[in-house]
Amino acid sequence: MSGARDMLCDTASAVFAEAASAGIAPVEEAGFALLLVPEADGGFGGDWGDLNAVLQIAGVAVPDLPVAPLILSGLGDVDPALHAAATVSLMAGAMGQALGLSIEHVNTRQQFGRPLGKFQAVQQSLAVMACEVRAVDAAAAAMAKRLDVVGFDAEAANFEIAAAKLRANRAVGVVTAVAHQVHGAIGFTREYELHRVTIPLMRWRGEHGNDAHWAQRLGRQVAGFGGRGLWEAMTARAD
Amino acid sequence: MQGFALYPFDPPGDISALRADLRTWLADHQPRGDIVERANCWASFDAGFSRALGAAGYIGMTLPARYGGGERHPLERYVVIEELLAAGAPVGAHWIADRQTGPLILRYGSEEQRQRYLPGIAKGELYACIGLSEPGAGSDLAAVRTSARETAEGWRINGQKIWTTGAHLSHVILALVRTEEGSERNAGLSQLLVDLDTPGITIRPIIDMAGNHDFNEIFFDDVLVPHGALIGTRGEGWKQVTAELGLERSGPERYLSSHALLAALIDAAGSDPDPAVAALIGELTAEMWTLRQLSMSTAAKLAAGEDPMVEASVVKELGNAFEQDMPRRVQAVIDCGWDDNADLARLLRALLIASPSFSLRGGTREVIRGIIARGLGLR
Repeated sequence: MSGARDMLCDTASAVFAEAASAGIAPVEEAGFALLLVPEADGGFGGDWGDLNAVLQIAGVAVPDLPVAPLILSGLGDVDPALHAAATVSLMAGAMGQALGLSIEHVNTRQQFGRPLGKFQAVQQSLAVMACEVRAVDAAAAAMAKRLDVVGFDAEAANFEIAAAKLRANRAVGVVTAVAHQVHGAIGFTREYELHRVTIPLMRWRGEHGNDAHWAQRLGRQVAGFGGRGLWEAMTARAD
Repeated sequence: MQGFALYPFDPPGDISALRADLRTWLADHQPRGDIVERANCWASFDAGFSRALGAAGYIGMTLPARYGGGERHPLERYVVIEELLAAGAPVGAHWIADRQTGPLILRYGSEEQRQRYLPGIAKGELYACIGLSEPGAGSDLAAVRTSARETAEGWRINGQKIWTTGAHLSHVILALVRTEEGSERNAGLSQLLVDLDTPGITIRPIIDMAGNHDFNEIFFDDVLVPHGALIGTRGEGWKQVTAELGLERSGPERYLSSHALLAALIDAAGSDPDPAVAALIGELTAEMWTLRQLSMSTAAKLAAGEDPMVEASVVKELGNAFEQDMPRRVQAVIDCGWDDNADLARLLRALLIASPSFSLRGGTREVIRGIIARGLGLR
């Protein structure tokens, strides 16, 4: 990560911490609408790698605030697929938070005389969840990389956006189910913060294209490539 | 919670040209094997193909030139492996020697061992098998009991290995053995490189449920090998094996070994598939694309000299699940009978039968999830 992105992430963390209680105003005031606007036009001149990092932090800290639409609004009218792309980054952050809360809980909560995390059944569930979180992280990062290569052109990144949103959507089921299961009843309360990330995850799954939408769209695109063509297209887009 | 660090996959050189050269070479050299052979290609043994591939410089790519290697970057090798698997090339003969035995000999072996074994591996002529599992030590490798005692003449080996893929077609076995009498668990273990034509070795086939002969059991009955058969440091076998398994768990074979089925499904679906088939193709593609990102990031971490034990386990876990689910999901949407003779039907049947092994080979699912849980700080 570049020094500039480190600084950006530090700023985002501080601003989102404030926004957690104060609402979207601090995010607006900090100028995040200018994140992707070119420097020549008075913006920050950031890239999709930056956006991915910032939205992952938003997914952890302020998943109920409309941070992604705010940042994309700086670009004017954007392709709806870019909203899907931004949502993937939010989802990656929220899933990371759900995993983090789960690990903390099972390492703290004792039952039958030892922490829940010492039970193999619990370990196996969390390993499954961690794999999903890791997959969405990787999908989000690769999608952001492609968007940077093609200069924010959603059409040129249509394969990566479709694949990443679909993969993130599919992870929601496992991640929310395991997170709530290992938390037991406490995770189902208003007081405990797990719902602050799991409810947005359930919402985001259906926004900007549900599983069926992206699966069919990607599937039709791939059918056009043919069997061997899928591999050739996949490598040509990344090399 | 901070995610896992993602490593950029940034191989040197002209990767597009490397792919293009290999694709041209494969068009000229790849046997027109049956589609079922191509579907599980890293188990397909073809010595002629391996020799030709070695002569073309695509085996032993990362080994130093003085041992017959290509001195290429590990990520260039990764690209070549991807292409071979995606094409369904029969890489089974040299696979283990190229992937793990060669690198292990380079890293831990003596100069004599390097000169003796590496050139043959790089030529695609010398094949190796993995001597880890035993009847009482499968997922619990620390329970290894096969013993090697140091005598004046050399190491004397007694015991048994099992599930040894390709032993009947290999030249050497890299065996994990107990060299310290009375030692327990992962202490007192060492690795010995044993020529399989040494007297006292018996190899017996184990036929799998698909009717194939890949597995074997190997009996060591007072087998005497020279002192120089020891690889690395006496008593450090566990550490060496753990590093070796990292090489085994994260490669593109964890999501590309059954790629022929996805390709066949796409071809059978045509350019205007019905919605259920289109959706399945989309789902499988999203999974495969994501696995590729994870596998490449893990390879990049390995190439940077770091130990991606947990990341490699994530790739294996997700990759195994993907390959295991794929035939079931294809069967759920494609209308074909069990005995149909069409390519897609035969391929589907073969992979349905093979698929239980996917989450066993290279470490069972439960053990792999245990490693991931340790990485999460739960153990």
